[in-house]
Amino acid sequence: MMPHESAHTVQSYEQELEHLRSLISQMGGLVERQTAQAIAAVADHDEVAALEVPELDPKVDDLERQTEALVIRLLALRAPMAGDLREVVAALKISGDLERIGDCATSIARRALRSELLSYPVSMTGLFSMGRMVQENLRRTIDAMDRRDSELARSVWQSDMAVDELYVSMFRELVTYMMEDPRNIGPCTHLLFVAKNLERIGDHATNICERVYYAATGRILPVMRPRGGIADQGL
Amino acid sequence: MNMTVIADVAPKVTADPALSIRDLDFWYGANHALKGISLDFPVRQVTGMIGPSGCGKSTLLRVLNRMYDLYPGQRATGEVIFDGRNIIAPGVDVNVLRSRVGMVFQKPTPFPMSIYDNIAFGVRLHERISRAEMDQRVEDVLRRVALWPEVKDRLGASAGALSGGQQQRLCIARTIATRPEVILLDEPTSALDPVSTARIEELLDELKREFSIAIVTHNLQQAARCADRVAFFYMGRLVEVDSADQMFTAPREKQTQDYITGRFG
Repeated sequence: MMPHESAHTVQSYEQELEHLRSLISQMGGLVERQTAQAIAAVADHDEVAALEVPELDPKVDDLERQTEALVIRLLALRAPMAGDLREVVAALKISGDLERIGDCATSIARRALRSELLSYPVSMTGLFSMGRMVQENLRRTIDAMDRRDSELARSVWQSDMAVDELYVSMFRELVTYMMEDPRNIGPCTHLLFVAKNLERIGDHATNICERVYYAATGRILPVMRPRGGIADQGL
Repeated sequence: MNMTVIADVAPKVTADPALSIRDLDFWYGANHALKGISLDFPVRQVTGMIGPSGCGKSTLLRVLNRMYDLYPGQRATGEVIFDGRNIIAPGVDVNVLRSRVGMVFQKPTPFPMSIYDNIAFGVRLHERISRAEMDQRVEDVLRRVALWPEVKDRLGASAGALSGGQQQRLCIARTIATRPEVILLDEPTSALDPVSTARIEELLDELKREFSIAIVTHNLQQAARCADRVAFFYMGRLVEVDSADQMFTAPREKQTQDYITGRFG
């Protein structure tokens, strides 16, 4: 990874890059909170947590718009090169993935409030460990992003495979419950969407890790990421 | 792990280089201006040379057609191989060399003569051709630099009456009129406005189909736009050379990164 210890000769340019980093960092903090609260809402029937998640959405959207405006301004006025160029483009892409993570979290939180989910007909162990895993991966992704740590980014990128594997097994489990008793179809469908949204959050996190890795090193991670059987089974 | 590097998609250098520098050192008197430079200039590609003032890039350009011969106390060691010969060795006909390795300077330098004679002058030094052939040559090179429509009705007029951008295109026409293999350009657009600059850059794209081009520029965007390969010089040394893609998106050396992102000093 190429360290940025030296500052720009043009101070205002340096300040704009710092501002960009701070926008992305704020977004990261917000969607991390949204994801944690969404998982708590499902796991603990925490209504306060569930209501907080969508309220944070406009703030995330606003930060994404600010990021896009700043990136366009930087590209037009500063014509960034090399490490700066990679960082600016990465910020634009990362802000998109962060915004999508916020949407997934909101979708999970909205489902958590539905009455069907108040008494689960099925075991929730798989979903809870998937939630913990996604939350942990997201936390490490945000860390890698803030510290521009390419090795941490690559390690998170690889560990998303476990999330995918859990999703595949949850899918099978939930389908089995639905076949056993049609009354399970309602709640299980919601749980399936919750699991899918968690899996999507994991995917967006790996996208962010790819951008962090490229911005820091100038090298591109392979197109095919190790995945836990999702693609080949069409799930 | 199967990593993709941006440089892998850049055009590969296949043919023998047009010019090949090996272990070149250069002195202005006691000042050691170039230190151990080894660099190839691929055939029919644009090689950009960048670096802060005094880094040696213009000096290197002047070595490539022995411009330094004009000044006492300047000397070079090492090899510059052009067409199988070391052109900095004694016994090289410098006039022939300069017709095969042409040079265009920072400020347009038209001769104080007509537009027509600016081109014919250099050709006459090296070739005996008929008036009709000369007319054809003049028209041909003026078309190549997209100057023909603007000057065809006033070929007898003084070149000094042309605009700066037109003068620079005339100088490029003059250079290619002797049918060189290599064209050296030393900041050819630094005195030109953006439109004239864009025309010269467009012209370089056109010319590289036929000529091998080396361009020194302080304008990094220009190097990024025009050059296939870019060499970064610092304090008389070649720090890094790579495809323009690689240099401007992910240079390998920290000094290069610092220079092109504006973090120098």
